[in-house]
Amino acid sequence: MARRPANGQAPAQFALDVRGLTTSFYVGGKWFPAVRDVSFALKRHETLALVGESGCGKSMTAMSIMGLVPKDAGRVKAEAILFEGQDLARASEAKMREVRGDGISMVFQEPMTSLNPVLTIGFQVSEALRHHRGLSRRDAAARALHILDQVKIPSAKSRFNDYPHQFSGGMRQRVMIAMALACQPKILLADEPTTALDVTIQAQILELLRELKRETGMAMIFITHNLGVVAELADRVAVMYAGQIVEIAEVAELFARPTHPYTEALLRSIPRSDRDTAELYTIPGQVPPITRMPPGCKFADRCAYRLDRCQAEEQQLAPLAKAPAHAVRCWRRTEETQPEMVVVDA
Amino acid sequence: MPDPILQITDLKKHFHVRRGFPNPKTVIVRALDEISFTVRKGTAFGLVGESGCGKSTAGRCLLRLIEPDSGSVVFDGVPVLNADTTTMRALRRRMQIVFQDPYSSLNPRKRIGAALAEPLLVHGMANRAEARERVRDLLAEVGMPKEAADRFPHEFSGGQRQRIGIARALALGPDLVVADEPVSGLDVSIQSQILLLLKRLKDTHHLSFVFISHDLGVIRYFCQEMAVMYLGRIVEIGPIPDVFEEPLHPYTRTLRDASPVPDPTSKSIFTKIEGEVPSAVKPPSGCHFHPRCPHAMPVCREVYPRWTAIDARRGVACHLFDDEHGGRDPAP
Ligand SMILES: Nc1ncnc2c1ncn2[C@@H]1O[C@H](COP(=O)(O)OP(=O)(O)OP(=O)(O)O)[C@@H](O)[C@H]1O
Ligand SMILES: Nc1ncnc2c1ncn2[C@@H]1O[C@H](COP(=O)(O)OP(=O)(O)OP(=O)(O)O)[C@@H](O)[C@H]1O
Ligand code: SF4
Ligand SMILES: [Mg+2]
Ligand SMILES: [Mg+2]
Repeated sequence: MARRPANGQAPAQFALDVRGLTTSFYVGGKWFPAVRDVSFALKRHETLALVGESGCGKSMTAMSIMGLVPKDAGRVKAEAILFEGQDLARASEAKMREVRGDGISMVFQEPMTSLNPVLTIGFQVSEALRHHRGLSRRDAAARALHILDQVKIPSAKSRFNDYPHQFSGGMRQRVMIAMALACQPKILLADEPTTALDVTIQAQILELLRELKRETGMAMIFITHNLGVVAELADRVAVMYAGQIVEIAEVAELFARPTHPYTEALLRSIPRSDRDTAELYTIPGQVPPITRMPPGCKFADRCAYRLDRCQAEEQQLAPLAKAPAHAVRCWRRTEETQPEMVVVDA
Repeated sequence: MPDPILQITDLKKHFHVRRGFPNPKTVIVRALDEISFTVRKGTAFGLVGESGCGKSTAGRCLLRLIEPDSGSVVFDGVPVLNADTTTMRALRRRMQIVFQDPYSSLNPRKRIGAALAEPLLVHGMANRAEARERVRDLLAEVGMPKEAADRFPHEFSGGQRQRIGIARALALGPDLVVADEPVSGLDVSIQSQILLLLKRLKDTHHLSFVFISHDLGVIRYFCQEMAVMYLGRIVEIGPIPDVFEEPLHPYTRTLRDASPVPDPTSKSIFTKIEGEVPSAVKPPSGCHFHPRCPHAMPVCREVYPRWTAIDARRGVACHLFDDEHGGRDPAP
């Protein structure tokens, strides 16, 4: 990772700069981190994928950036979350509301829970515009219709007054994207927006996101557990495990040289539709719960390359000597002067 | 080619549902429209297709968990659909099912040990002491500690529950297992653990499978033959590598091309995928796929394509392969 100035503003090429984000939850009388010391910078126009298995902290990373972690249960701390010259980690609630409407938008996995079932689609998209852009009712409706067209709702005009239940899952997800885009955000946070959809519909939504990105120039953080989707869409990938980023690299680099033992094992555990998998690899055991995180490497008890040192000392996310933009949190893989190349199912 | 163990012919199930507000009308959901396929001994037959295409209905009908409208199911030479109660009881022992979420099929107030012993006791296959021993063996076989017997379903993770669901299906020593999305919703690392377990059991117990999944990667890994379903019909059948390497039906190709693979150098061609899956209440005329098909011809709008057998194991329902209409040359 390129080093950034430790203080001050995000350099202009970054749309978002997250430093030292830790989000903890209060469980049984104690605080436990679910996201620990996460740092990454999102470049302008870039799509960064956050990938990892259930519970690794993907959603909480996004919710922390948006200021949406419930205050009663969770505690968010960060050195800085820099967006457009402001530190969101220290912003007021009023400021955050403004950012959420205008600067950073989010799309969630289950559109039905974020749409109001008793209001029409057209009304809900227009309302978002009226609220954040102060448009008149008529202008908002016109703009809403335009956006629904843009996300390719077939015959959007005649469906403007339909209710959410009259839409299919894929169409509802398009509506959610329309609402997120209504105010032309600088950054879109998409949290598993296609996970609940069929593959042909997923393909359409991914294509739509790609196209909208091209048109609007926005940057995107795309959260998923599906490495196939990552390969389709991402420019850069951060792999998370147990609340930490364990590997981050350009997409081509990550798939060509998966270097963290977890990333490597994960890639070999996917049954593939594009080739025969004679031998499916499997990772023994399971992810530790946030209440029982081991010291040192959180992956150590499942790792085939474990050293004694791994369970004793905390690892840093360190750039590889040969590829400085590729960083890995692993004693073994960053210390090996001549890292053995990992071949995934040649 | 191994002998058939299960032969499904023209299996059909339509649901009558009352829908609509404020004037509800009875509509017919064509969940399953005369599907036919054969599962061979010791092999896994995959059923793949998008949500609502009828995969689960097929699995349930062939086990008579729901009664199909018509068709025939022959298991190891025995007709299933008109079997009397005694025959059916014997058949149930030999044909078992694993669900996507075994939690929904486990009694939350019953300890795992009791849940696993129950079928053994009901079928008179063991007394209490024998059942206890068999439960311990079953748990070991699916990689669970024996202490699990004393615990309740909610104490286990998704992957562990699936192991318990598999143990329960194995309890009576079946020959055929219908696995309905057994790894959907599991994380990749847990999914591969369960797939390896199922594969090992398939080999050691010489099990045959009807394996339902919407994930082409999982089907390719686990199965030897497969059928692709669309709106209640089978549109293509064939041996695994063949169907993947050279899909015949345009829908099979669409499905394959839309499935993301973990390789950024082979980005799929997404732009060509049109429309959504229509409703099973009002399937499109002719070939149900024609509104989304890049090769649709006038005849596709009119006539449902008949089944074209390519060889003993391969067939497709598409006018492109029916000599009378299209000839055999689908542009890729
Ligand atoms: N309100 C809460 N109280 C306690 N723990 C919580 C709370 N919300 C989240 N967690 C825990 O924080 C961790 C990270 O959760 P998060 O939702 O970010 O995971 P995720 O990576 O998005 O997973 P998924 O793929 O399942 O959506 C999990 O272990 C979760 O159990
Ligand atoms: N008991 C029922 N009553 C009415 N309609 C039903 C019933 N069960 C299924 N259906 C309908 O029959 C069709 C086929 O459903 P089925 O559950 O078999 O699909 P599936 O391929 O298993 O889908 P999924 O991938 O979502 O599990 C769907 O349109 C469904 O809504
Ligand atoms: S029958 Fe016609 S519409 Fe149907 S898949 Fe074949 S070419 Fe396409
Ligand atoms: Mg999540
Ligand atoms: Mg189903």
